[in-house]
Amino acid sequence: MIGLSHYLIVSAILFSIGLMGVLRRRNLLMLFFATEVMLNAVNIAFAAISHYYNDLTGQMFAFFIIAIAASEVAVGLGILIVLYKKHGSLDLDDLATMRG
Amino acid sequence: MDNILSVLIFFPAIAGLLGFVVDKKSARAYGITVAAIEFLLSLWLWFSFDTGNAGMQFVEMIPLIPDFGVSYYLGVDGISLFIILMTTLMTLIGMVSMSIEKDIKNMIITLLFLEMTMVGVFVALDAIVFYLFWELSLVPMLYIVGAWGGPLRVYAAIKFFLYTFMGSLVMLVGMLFVAYVYHSLTGVWSFAITDWYALVLPVNYQLWLFAAFFLGFAIKVPMFPFHTWLPYAHGQAPTIGSVILAAVLLKMGTYGFVRFSLPMFPDASVMMITPIAVLSIIMIIYTAMVAYAQKDMKQVIAYSSVSHMGIIMIGIFAMNSEGIGGSVFQMLSHGIVSGALFMLVGIIYDRRHTKLMSEFGGLAAVMPKYAVIFGIMLMASVGLPLTIGFVGEFLVLLGFYEISPVMTILAGTSIILGAVYMLSVFKKSFFGPVTKEENKNLKDLTAKETWSLVPLVAIVIWLGVYPKPVLDPINKSVNAMLVFMEEKAITAEAKDIIKVPQSATNAGEVK
Amino acid sequence: MEGLVYIALFAPFASSLFAALFGMSERKIFVGVVASILLTISFVASAMLAFYVYGTGHAVHVTMMDWINAGDLRIPFGFVVDQVSVTMMTVVTLVSTIVHIYSIGYMDHDKSFNRFFSYLSAFVFSMMVLVMSDNFAGLFIGWEGVGVCSWLLVGFWYHKPDVSREENPSISPSWAANEAFIMNRIADLGMLIGLFILYWNVGSLQYDEVFAAVPFLDGTVLNAAALALFIGAMGKSAQFPLHTWLTDAMEGPTPVSALIHAATMVTAGVFLVIRANPLFSLTPEVSYFIAALGTFVAFFAASMALVNRDLKRIIAFSTLSQLGYMFAAAGLGAYWIALFHLAAHAFFKALLFLGAGNVMHAMHDELDIFKMGGLKKVMKWTYLYMGIASLALAGIPFFAGFFSKDAIIETAWNEGTIVLWAILVVTAGMTAFYSFRQVFLTFEGDERYKQYGIHPHEMYRYVLIAMSPLAVLAVVAGFGMEGFEHFVTKLLPDYHMSEHTHHIAWILGLVVLVFAVGGIALAYKKYYHGLKRDEKLENSWYYKLLANQYYIPVLYEEFISKPYAMISDAMWNKVDMKIVDATVDGIAKFLYKTGDETRKMQTGNLSNYLNWMAVGAVLFLVVAAISAAAIG
Repeated sequence: MIGLSHYLIVSAILFSIGLMGVLRRRNLLMLFFATEVMLNAVNIAFAAISHYYNDLTGQMFAFFIIAIAASEVAVGLGILIVLYKKHGSLDLDDLATMRG
Repeated sequence: MDNILSVLIFFPAIAGLLGFVVDKKSARAYGITVAAIEFLLSLWLWFSFDTGNAGMQFVEMIPLIPDFGVSYYLGVDGISLFIILMTTLMTLIGMVSMSIEKDIKNMIITLLFLEMTMVGVFVALDAIVFYLFWELSLVPMLYIVGAWGGPLRVYAAIKFFLYTFMGSLVMLVGMLFVAYVYHSLTGVWSFAITDWYALVLPVNYQLWLFAAFFLGFAIKVPMFPFHTWLPYAHGQAPTIGSVILAAVLLKMGTYGFVRFSLPMFPDASVMMITPIAVLSIIMIIYTAMVAYAQKDMKQVIAYSSVSHMGIIMIGIFAMNSEGIGGSVFQMLSHGIVSGALFMLVGIIYDRRHTKLMSEFGGLAAVMPKYAVIFGIMLMASVGLPLTIGFVGEFLVLLGFYEISPVMTILAGTSIILGAVYMLSVFKKSFFGPVTKEENKNLKDLTAKETWSLVPLVAIVIWLGVYPKPVLDPINKSVNAMLVFMEEKAITAEAKDIIKVPQSATNAGEVK
Repeated sequence: MEGLVYIALFAPFASSLFAALFGMSERKIFVGVVASILLTISFVASAMLAFYVYGTGHAVHVTMMDWINAGDLRIPFGFVVDQVSVTMMTVVTLVSTIVHIYSIGYMDHDKSFNRFFSYLSAFVFSMMVLVMSDNFAGLFIGWEGVGVCSWLLVGFWYHKPDVSREENPSISPSWAANEAFIMNRIADLGMLIGLFILYWNVGSLQYDEVFAAVPFLDGTVLNAAALALFIGAMGKSAQFPLHTWLTDAMEGPTPVSALIHAATMVTAGVFLVIRANPLFSLTPEVSYFIAALGTFVAFFAASMALVNRDLKRIIAFSTLSQLGYMFAAAGLGAYWIALFHLAAHAFFKALLFLGAGNVMHAMHDELDIFKMGGLKKVMKWTYLYMGIASLALAGIPFFAGFFSKDAIIETAWNEGTIVLWAILVVTAGMTAFYSFRQVFLTFEGDERYKQYGIHPHEMYRYVLIAMSPLAVLAVVAGFGMEGFEHFVTKLLPDYHMSEHTHHIAWILGLVVLVFAVGGIALAYKKYYHGLKRDEKLENSWYYKLLANQYYIPVLYEEFISKPYAMISDAMWNKVDMKIVDATVDGIAKFLYKTGDETRKMQTGNLSNYLNWMAVGAVLFLVVAAISAAAIG
């Protein structure tokens, strides 16, 4: 029987993969993907816990997150395109103009 | 004129704003006129002041933030009245004697704003208004030191600003806490100092609050070991900056002790007598010695001014009418005398562009008028009887003798050490043969310089011979404060040490 | 009578202001004349007051106005003219008037002539305030006032440069002036403390209230007050160890030395002890200390005078020595004798100094008596005056000093303090010796000045005439002793010799006389016929010790002035800059540095930021977990 804990484990694994991506990746696009992975890991957890408690609020939250993530991606990708046009690269190591 | 105090505060500020449209050539005349009117207004304040009344007069009160009890609350009593007069007088005289040519318009406007903040500090009876003016006063001074100062001006200005600012932030926390305690005890918010006076705080609260206020005031005074910003500020500031700094800004610290610390925390104040007296004595002796070691005339005056502030400090903590009254009087005397001394150093600096004593010698023969006025101010500074310097110093030492004879003797070395460094300055600069070629043809005081110094000389002698008109109102308010402190004190020790003069107990005047 | 009090007091003040008006202009002879006239007016007023007080026996008491009122302290400007103060007033104004007239002649070539009169009259005013005040604070005004005037007058020739101690033991007028002022300040602190003690125990500083209250005070309080006041007196009257300023003060113009450093200001300390006699008579230990110190100083100063070569310094040492006598008398309770010696001394010592001024004037400011000699030919009158003054000083019978000094020595015997008596007697002999050594070396013997190309001349006639009252008084003042006793003991405690002492008084007098005449005879033998220098003696250690004032000025310099300057310097450079300020700057630097270090985190690389963010999140988690565990 697949229980809550399995879902949560999957969610945690996914989150960790996303986190590793955020920490290790140098390409902005890849960073985006990694954050999407993390968001979806949270969504899985929300859906699972919502089901477990029989409370729909969690699933509603998951939808919210999906919606917001979509709009975020839209804006984010727009910025990425502008950045790429300007610098010709999306490598984070090349984008250190804010160095203090 | 019911709102004379508001007029006194905002007249220079508004005139300063209007100053932007005045053209550059007439800026100086404009500034002097405004300062003169302001001075006349403050004189009017004195004449309409009821000397028989020890409490607050000319009170103005407009609620600003009623929910938090912040209001625009002003008033003067005998303690603040003369400090205000001295502020307006020194601003006027400083402006008359000013020799700055560069950006004169900006200087005039800055000075007028500074005058607003200084008067504001001394008339505010609401802690927030007080704090506002207290902090605002830093800005014009920062600008004066930073824009017209010597080569190290930026360092000096920043040091001055950050150091005093840090202290006052701690004080602000203290103020907020007092308001909080007031709220929790009475259920209403109030920042009015007179309301706070009525608050009887437990001793441990008093001690913490005393410490918070102490930091703010002590850095301003400046007390040893918080004094090191002062020599830099004086060393780099233009003459006018030093005059105002020494005459008025330092008094804010000692005034704060009299206005806040003593009446609000009588028990803590009594408990802190010894530590503060020890610091003050170190300050008196140590800075007097440091003053003696200086090679630069202005630095001698700067350190001597720290040393004299030590006398004022121990007077405040004498906890009797003689000592506190003497301290308030000494604030005036120090303001006038050290202001005048800085002006005198400025005069020689204008001529020779150096303040090193080794560059001078024999000036008495070349500039006799200058030497005479310098001599009179020197004698006032070392506390010669019949000059303004003696009255305060004598009363302070007399008052503190009741607290501790030994410490009075130590503090009294000020009259010896003061003579040592002052006479050594005078000897090095004014006596001996004229050795330097450049000094042989120095011009004696010009009419402008003479007329800016002569009023100060007149005051120095007038208040030395007949201090009564000033001393009486001060005494009255101080007595009232002592009566009220003694009543409010909760520890037996404090009740014992706070000494109400017999004349005041008979009159039985309580705020 | 009140009018007279104010005239006596303010005439010198008016004179000072008048002269000050012309202070920066050319020499104007009328300034000196007007000043002298005003001083004469003051003298006449004082004399009239003296007659009034003598006639009626009442004191005149006036209160001009309030000065300082604070707390319970009430200090008025009040003046009292009683037997003691009127004596002082008369002596002060008389000597001052003569010195003013004298100065017109003495200072006639000085370009700061007007300024001089302004200072001199200001001094007289301060001195009058000192003696006339009816309270201790008023006395202190005068006390400090005379100090400042002394500073101004000692440093009158301020333009002279500093020289080494070998060349001039006083270094320079401005140096001597500062030394005098600072030493006096040390003593003034003692005096102030005395005032504080009295105020907090009595509640007033008025003489009458204080003296009425002292019998009820605790013994320790009285001792402390008496000692503190006496420390004040020690400074002004240059008692050991605060004595070095007096001889250095001889850098001032000679009329100043005559007026301030011989006749008036230096006696202020004695005046204080006499004035406060109700206090001092209750403190026998302090009084005995005063007497002992006075006796010591009398001997100590006389010993230094024995070998000195400087005309004015010899007289200064003798002043010091005579002040010692006065303190001895006052300490032993013979206040009126002390006051009498004070007055008599003022006359003959002023005369002596003015005579020395004549010699200086004649010798073009040369002061070394080894370079003089034989001056009697050109300066007959001065010789006569200085001779009279020296006879009075030596205590030769029927001159003023004989009566007063003898009475003091007799008192020492009468009190049973035989050691003090013996020292005072020996000192009397030394006094006679050095006085006449000086007179003979100056006026008799070979004319040594010729080899230095000096052409001496006698002083102006009017100056000599002006000096004559002093000469007359130096001769006859002693005969007024009984009248004086009768007069002042209305206020001061009377002092009588015991029956036994009275009985052998003539023996005691004879002993003193033998010593005095012996001293003169020795001086005559050694110096009358010219100067024969004794190399062996001059190189001996004790001669050098005395000539160098027991090395005390050098000790003060080595162990006080220099270390003070050194410590001050260290305080500034080491403590203030390196510790106090460095700590403040250190804190500021630490903050800057922390900012600077942590700034490196700000790489601008998003990836690093994210890493830091993760570290932060983990940290928060850990903290949350730990606190949850701790609470749970």
